Amino acid sequence: MDKSQLSAVLQVLKKYNLKETEELLKKEAQLTDNESQNSQQGSDVSSVLTGYKSDGDPEAYELSYTELKRFVESSLDIYKHELGTILFPVLVHMYLEMVYNGHTQKAISLMKKFGPEQESYYQEDLKKLAMVTKREHMNGNELTETFKSNQFIIRISRDTLSLLKRHLNDKKAAVMLNIIQEHLYFDMYEGVARNKGQIDATSGAIGGEAKRQDNKSKVFYGIPKAPDLVTLAGPVEDEEEGQDQDNPDKPKKKKSKKDPLFSKKTKSDPNAPPADRIPVPEWKDNDKLEKIKALREASKRVILGPESMPSCCCYTLLNANFTVCCAEITEDSSMLAVGFNDSIVKVWTLVPQKLRSMKSAEQLEEVNIEAEDVLVRMMDDRSGETSRTLCGHGGPVYSVSFSPDRSLLLSCSEDTTIRLWSLQIWTCLVVYKGHMFPVWDVKFSPMGYYFASAGYDRTARLWATDHYQPLRIFAGHFSDVDCIQFHPNSNYLATGSSDRRVCLYDCTTGHHVRLMTGHKSPVHALAFSVCGRYLASAGTDCKVLVWDLSHGHLVAELTGHEKTVHCLSFSRCGNLLVSGGLDCTLKLWDFTKLVEETTSDDVNVSHNPDVKSGEDYLLRSFATKSSPLVSVHFTRRNLLIAVALFDGTNTS
Amino acid sequence: MSKITDHDLYGTNFSIESMKVIAESIGIGYLADDAAKELAEDISFRLKHIIQDSAKFMNHAKRVKLMQTDVDAALRMKNIEPQYGFQSTEPLPFRFASGGGRELHFLEEKEVDLNDLLQNINPKAPLECTLRPHWLCIDGVQPTIPENPPPVAKNTQKLDSVDPVNKKPAKESSGKPTTGKQKLRNVETVQIKQLATHELSVEQQLYYKEITEACVGSDEARRAEALQSLASDPGLHEMLPRMCTFIIEGVRVNVVQNNLALLIYLMRMVKAILDNQSLYLEKYLHELIPSVTTCIVSKQLCMRPELDNHWALRDFASRLMAQICKNFNTSTNNIQTRVTRMFTNALQQDKVPLSSLYGALQGLSELGTEVTRIFILPRVRSIGARVESHLEGNLISNIDKIASGHIKQLMIKILAPVLKTLRTPPDHADDYRQDFGYLGVGLHAAVVKARTQPTPVTSAGAGSTGVAAGPITCGAGAGIGKTAPTPSGIIQQQNPNAGRTIVMNPSPRVQTPQSNQKFVFVTQRSQTPMGTSQQNQQTTSTAQNTVVKFVSNNPNQMQQKMQPQQKLVMMSNQSNQGSFQGQNLGGQPPALLISKQNYAMQQQHQQQVQPPMIDDLSHLS
Repeated sequence: MDKSQLSAVLQVLKKYNLKETEELLKKEAQLTDNESQNSQQGSDVSSVLTGYKSDGDPEAYELSYTELKRFVESSLDIYKHELGTILFPVLVHMYLEMVYNGHTQKAISLMKKFGPEQESYYQEDLKKLAMVTKREHMNGNELTETFKSNQFIIRISRDTLSLLKRHLNDKKAAVMLNIIQEHLYFDMYEGVARNKGQIDATSGAIGGEAKRQDNKSKVFYGIPKAPDLVTLAGPVEDEEEGQDQDNPDKPKKKKSKKDPLFSKKTKSDPNAPPADRIPVPEWKDNDKLEKIKALREASKRVILGPESMPSCCCYTLLNANFTVCCAEITEDSSMLAVGFNDSIVKVWTLVPQKLRSMKSAEQLEEVNIEAEDVLVRMMDDRSGETSRTLCGHGGPVYSVSFSPDRSLLLSCSEDTTIRLWSLQIWTCLVVYKGHMFPVWDVKFSPMGYYFASAGYDRTARLWATDHYQPLRIFAGHFSDVDCIQFHPNSNYLATGSSDRRVCLYDCTTGHHVRLMTGHKSPVHALAFSVCGRYLASAGTDCKVLVWDLSHGHLVAELTGHEKTVHCLSFSRCGNLLVSGGLDCTLKLWDFTKLVEETTSDDVNVSHNPDVKSGEDYLLRSFATKSSPLVSVHFTRRNLLIAVALFDGTNTS
Repeated sequence: MSKITDHDLYGTNFSIESMKVIAESIGIGYLADDAAKELAEDISFRLKHIIQDSAKFMNHAKRVKLMQTDVDAALRMKNIEPQYGFQSTEPLPFRFASGGGRELHFLEEKEVDLNDLLQNINPKAPLECTLRPHWLCIDGVQPTIPENPPPVAKNTQKLDSVDPVNKKPAKESSGKPTTGKQKLRNVETVQIKQLATHELSVEQQLYYKEITEACVGSDEARRAEALQSLASDPGLHEMLPRMCTFIIEGVRVNVVQNNLALLIYLMRMVKAILDNQSLYLEKYLHELIPSVTTCIVSKQLCMRPELDNHWALRDFASRLMAQICKNFNTSTNNIQTRVTRMFTNALQQDKVPLSSLYGALQGLSELGTEVTRIFILPRVRSIGARVESHLEGNLISNIDKIASGHIKQLMIKILAPVLKTLRTPPDHADDYRQDFGYLGVGLHAAVVKARTQPTPVTSAGAGSTGVAAGPITCGAGAGIGKTAPTPSGIIQQQNPNAGRTIVMNPSPRVQTPQSNQKFVFVTQRSQTPMGTSQQNQQTTSTAQNTVVKFVSNNPNQMQQKMQPQQKLVMMSNQSNQGSFQGQNLGGQPPALLISKQNYAMQQQHQQQVQPPMIDDLSHLS
């Protein structure tokens, strides 16, 4: 911390009359009163905080930008593209500096002249920046603050960097030098300069690319061994055999393999986190039974692939004209929850079993607690309904999430709250208030108990259902956090943001462990592969990007959608990736092929492998009848379920 | 990406003038230019900011359309009181109020009298959101069901018809990435139009056989199903040429043989094909129009012209023609003009048979009031004279007399609404006789009646309603006028007993995807055997009055709007299907026309689609 900053802090302390703190700080900084007095005159709080104070001649900006541009264009082809990456941040900071110093007209003319020739994915930012034409506008403006207070990160090879440095030293253009020193951060690496395609693949985010440092720490992306269920599985196995005897036609193949479900995962994944890395409540008997049921279902699963395509059942919401915001299906595909614009949540049952509520207190007393089927007995059979409505929110419901045991439902809303609902008594249990602004997304952890939320306030938060305050607050995004997803092993949390970055946070430490840039627009959907190693993300830029979490590299860019992609899902066998969005199509991608072709040999931390592009992996595309898709889901047996909204206004 | 212009980058700012106008509207008389400029810039910036934030709410609601709720949410988030109210007809939309530290902008809302509210026709509450499961694909193949988009879009069908080369090389199931296409293009450097082969699969051949058999067979229930399938199933385009040939050949043969029933069945097929939204029919119009025309103006369509109701066929075919004109008329093909000219030519010939004359008149009248006024009105006198000679003359042939009677009725029916608007009251019978000759008296009576009656029968009146008369025509302003504007309500029409009580039951559960303000009648076959040979029942059935009862979920409310006694004439035999004449008895205002149930678009099929069971893959294999 330099002197001027220190004095600025002192000034603030004085302003708010925080004498003791002031004294303490002075003592620690070994600053005499005299010194602080002196520096006070020279420094101004605002100038330190904004860092745009400059008495540069407005004419000099355009001149030096032109010069820089000429230098970039005249440099050798191998360095050209990497050098080109500095043009955008330089332009942005020049513009802001000029606006800040009141040279509005000059700033506008600079932007008009050079703005349109920037990369297409920067145009949106430039448009937003161009709105700012006065110093006052910069106050509280999300984008300008981001540029102001963060260095723009540029990855650059050693050779390119030295070339640039030489140029800057030769020219001695004070304006340029100042901006580059203050606002740009060069993340240098050894090796060959990158080409245009490689640069385009990872650039586009607000704040530049990810640093190498961001993706260095180890991520336990594996799935830990499932807890021992064999003891419980005994009686179940008997049942199976009993059934088999009933149907002698059934192929006997299954019997020969002794309980194939439980022997499969005996060897543990080297990349898996220790089982006790994150504390989880103990499993109840019910959970175990549920798990076994799921495993048995899974054994009847169809293995999908290019040769065996899935069947897809589409639930179309009729009369939903613009009222539905989100939809979610339970893990066992028995219920569908839909969040509406008019602040209600509606739950439908997708199976013949109706949605029952619990018996009244008096009736519950009569239930024998010792009974095996106490959970069934406590429900009131007469209360069964095919759909139920949950009222409580005060604004559009932007996301809903079922707990793994299907007894709880979370919803988040524009009214800044998250609500926990009981699906047994069908009322709201808890209102979690913590976000100060609308909450965009909420997700239950795959283990239950924990859940995570993301919102307009640029944070993601980790909660536990029994705490009314968040356990962790993950800050770091420069803009809204639009979507959130738990890693299948619950240890990590992926966030997608309007700053076009995808981030992986460690739930236990709260640090970010991966930072992935490459999206050109806000990210709206995330999905982890079944193996846990890959992350798929998609958003307004109509692309589905696949990331390798082991090093945080972009693996593939699946293009084909024409409008925002809002939902992603991996098949239960992990072979297919499904995406759907506002363009009313559902696309199936061959994920196995993608993984096979991604050779992991030539990949290391610093070097991005070549990015695979879409078309080759597209297996099928199914159009719906002018119904944008809001949710896709695979059942345990790999039947694809899609939820779509019929938009009657579009039909011809 | 397209080149960004300055305009795009900077958007637009409010002008100084608008600032001044707004200032004046809130009582600031003089605003300095500098101040206005300053304000304009600042306001533009803030507005853009709010819009930018509203877009976030739009995105998260998974929409592409910005709505005022999004703006409200953005305002609320910035701690600004949102606007209360959205639409206003007043020039000065928002009122201002403050107090208690809050400042509100709201719309002035008038107090509403409860009585008015109860009596007036209120817009329907929006329908509840419902869930409809269907198969989007089965083992990777998309089934062609109405819930899915047609496998080949209309545009592609159009392209195929223009240039058969575009036809996909193989019958690819939807969605397969096409790789071979590029190569094909390269080969076709010389523009030779290849013959496109329309091979029908075995299933399609079977379907064709079943459908055509059912359409002309004797089983009415099967026919209804077949027509329903024709009208709603996507993916029929490959069979369309065959279907058209079937119809054309059928008409050709049966006109010669005077087989009225079959002609009616064929016309109903035409109707079904016209109703199918997924077909590109332009290609086959040149074949269909002559067939339909034949059914309108042919001299003889049945064995016994004096007994059989071939008039209904002519009426129905006329409506089809009007529908074709409405749907397919463009400035290049000029269908409507050509059809009009054809009918007009028929009118001008003196020797034209009376039945053809009737057809031409009917065909013209369906094309709209304007056509009626220009082409029929000037000829009233001569037609009247001709009719008179047959009705009043000495050498009376029975056939001619009946035909003349029909023509007379038709003329009066179609001309009365025209004359009502054309002539100013008072109406004198003598004037009418002088102007229109023989038909003057009848016209006079009809016009007088129409004037006293505020709600005219809207059947042949306006061209558009005549066209839309397919499923149902409601007398505007009649009792069910309240339900008429409902978007996409489904009315189930059932015949629960032989007593012919029609129960109309708006059921909110079932929803058709095509929700374009159309009533859909779900018709179930009545137990009363309608019979299969039914050409001669007309006389009995027209005399038969049927009470139509409306039952809604909220009977009280409904009946409040209903006239207590509403009598309708139901045409209940096959040969009568074209005539939708509702007859008003005793001058009761509500006149309701109900189509023959056979035309009703049958939605049973859709209703019967079983929701696929989750994880039940067994029935797929």
